[in-house]
Amino acid sequence: MLKVGLIGAGTMGRTHGSAYKQMPDVQLIGVCDVGPVEPKTFAEELQTRSFPSVEAMLDAGPQVVDICVPTPWHKECALAAAKAGCHVICEKPLARTLEDAREIITACETAGVKLFPAHVLRFFPQYATAKQLIDNGAIGKPAAVRTFRGDGFPQGFNDWYADFEKSGGLVLDMIIHDFDWLRWCFGPVERVFAKGLAARVHEHRDYALVTLRMRSGPIAHVEGTWTHPGGFEAKLEVVGDAGMIEFAGSATDPVHLRLRTEAGGPGGVPVPESPLEVDPYFAELRHFLDCLQSGAEPIVTPEDGYRALEISLAALESIQTGRVVTLSE
Amino acid sequence: MVRIGMMSFAHMHAGSYAACLNSLPNAQIVGIADDDEARGREMASRFNTQYFPSYEALLSAGIDAVVICSENARHKDMTLMAASAGKHVLCEKPLATNVIDAMAMISACKKAGVQLMTAFPCRFHPAMQRVKAMVESGKIGRILAIRGTNRGRNPGGWFTQLEKSGGGAVMDHTVHVTDLMRWLTGAEVVQVYAEIDNLINHADFDDVGFLTLELSDGTFGTLDSSWSRPKTYPFWGDVTLEIVGEDGVISMDMFSQNLVLYSDTQGAISWVNWGSNMDLGLTRAFVNAVENGTPVPITGEDGLKAVEVVQAAYRSADRKEPVKLPLEV
Repeated sequence: MLKVGLIGAGTMGRTHGSAYKQMPDVQLIGVCDVGPVEPKTFAEELQTRSFPSVEAMLDAGPQVVDICVPTPWHKECALAAAKAGCHVICEKPLARTLEDAREIITACETAGVKLFPAHVLRFFPQYATAKQLIDNGAIGKPAAVRTFRGDGFPQGFNDWYADFEKSGGLVLDMIIHDFDWLRWCFGPVERVFAKGLAARVHEHRDYALVTLRMRSGPIAHVEGTWTHPGGFEAKLEVVGDAGMIEFAGSATDPVHLRLRTEAGGPGGVPVPESPLEVDPYFAELRHFLDCLQSGAEPIVTPEDGYRALEISLAALESIQTGRVVTLSE
Repeated sequence: MVRIGMMSFAHMHAGSYAACLNSLPNAQIVGIADDDEARGREMASRFNTQYFPSYEALLSAGIDAVVICSENARHKDMTLMAASAGKHVLCEKPLATNVIDAMAMISACKKAGVQLMTAFPCRFHPAMQRVKAMVESGKIGRILAIRGTNRGRNPGGWFTQLEKSGGGAVMDHTVHVTDLMRWLTGAEVVQVYAEIDNLINHADFDDVGFLTLELSDGTFGTLDSSWSRPKTYPFWGDVTLEIVGEDGVISMDMFSQNLVLYSDTQGAISWVNWGSNMDLGLTRAFVNAVENGTPVPITGEDGLKAVEVVQAAYRSADRKEPVKLPLEV
């Protein structure tokens, strides 16, 4: 039995928690949070126990600690877990700054524990299959890439997403997914130029347009929004010199539920679903735990987490300074 | 009745303009001149008009106005010729291949007391007209950002011969959406950044172009003007806009009104557009302005402003840094 302790009682904590419950070789020993309140109801939902603090949970001896709290708390949780000799699964972004990310990586190395940054997009079958097609030469040499990721403004603990200093806005919190996927497929980024609302004051709105020149040649355009009403959407297009791959987003959702409403009444909004045999979050966590047990190199390394963060921060720097930012990797 | 002469059918839009002019009750195509005599004669017969062996002969045939659809680099000479003959001009986009030529065209027409209109038909597409009305209604509040695309297949022919085209995809496809952004915001482009390369055809003309624009009212945007539709793509390309306002988002896909045709005889899947012909609105506006002596709705200055963005984009890509407008020429 692999003993896992979960930090964070939000949306991602719930997603990870339910995944662990489906793993017969995993024991979710408990949940805790960084806030002042012990997540008792949350623990009941997951049929596990709650702890009043991270320290209390670490005392109960988990082998793996999964960090699903807002970004500013990643470092203190990861350092405490590493110090307690626990392997660490950490939500993206690894940290708010490169210094903090490096400190987390070094602390895990020093403690001799594994660190898995949770860049889940690599486990979404449409993104994984797209990479496979690219690698197989299905579209020739990659040339132009466009990604879209968006939703309305996210609701989080204490509205922390709205605090730019904490969250870094959507460039750090959301389109880091696309940055990581781009780097996974096409290698390091040469330079970044971006415009976004992060440099302009707009309460509960964020939007960014980021152009990246990959060192291997392709030009990529990443669009991210936290100001699009109508639900989550993600899209992808990769053009090569011999073809093109398109993921048309929610247009590919196979199931739509439309409930009949009384004449003139509100509602009737279709609820789309894209069900999968294996949930990508489950696949990600399963992969991390399998690597832990086998000693195999994971699909996402700590360095990948660091480099994805570096791209996000470069985009933010470009947005704030109006300049082109060249990366060092 | 407005009597029109058509100068050159090098650009394929000429055929559509001719068909539209023939359908207007107040326009008559007096003749076609083309230095490709075979093409000129064929088009004259197709559009029930006369072939003229020279542009001079056409200009002295008692016409009121000309439609110029030559190769980009020849727009200037033909416009100057028409202006000195006292004819109003509707010129295919891009107005010119550089700012200096465009300025010369504007001043020649001004001096001759004739009107110069730039062929930006997208403004007349019913979808675009609807978008313009939505923006003006204030429904989405102040515009914060606009993400645009105008992508296509490589048209080949003179479009890829730089001495005739003045540039590849960025020259061909930047001006439409740039004009739409100016039209929607009423603001001018003040900064351009661009990543431009040839990554699909591996030749001496550009086929991938990602522009980032900053407008004088603080709106920012990006524009993909690549020839990035593969040969197997079911349609020639697209014009799309995502207009992000303070209170909502408008998405437009100008050419989505399609039937999908799966043809075993053609061995291909294609989209057959059933949307309205925007060239009709364009030609009607020009003919009416000439007939009534009223100002054309899209001027030479509008054409110039878009050309300036093109020139700035190439300069930015060369320098790998954003370029300020007005451009130093």
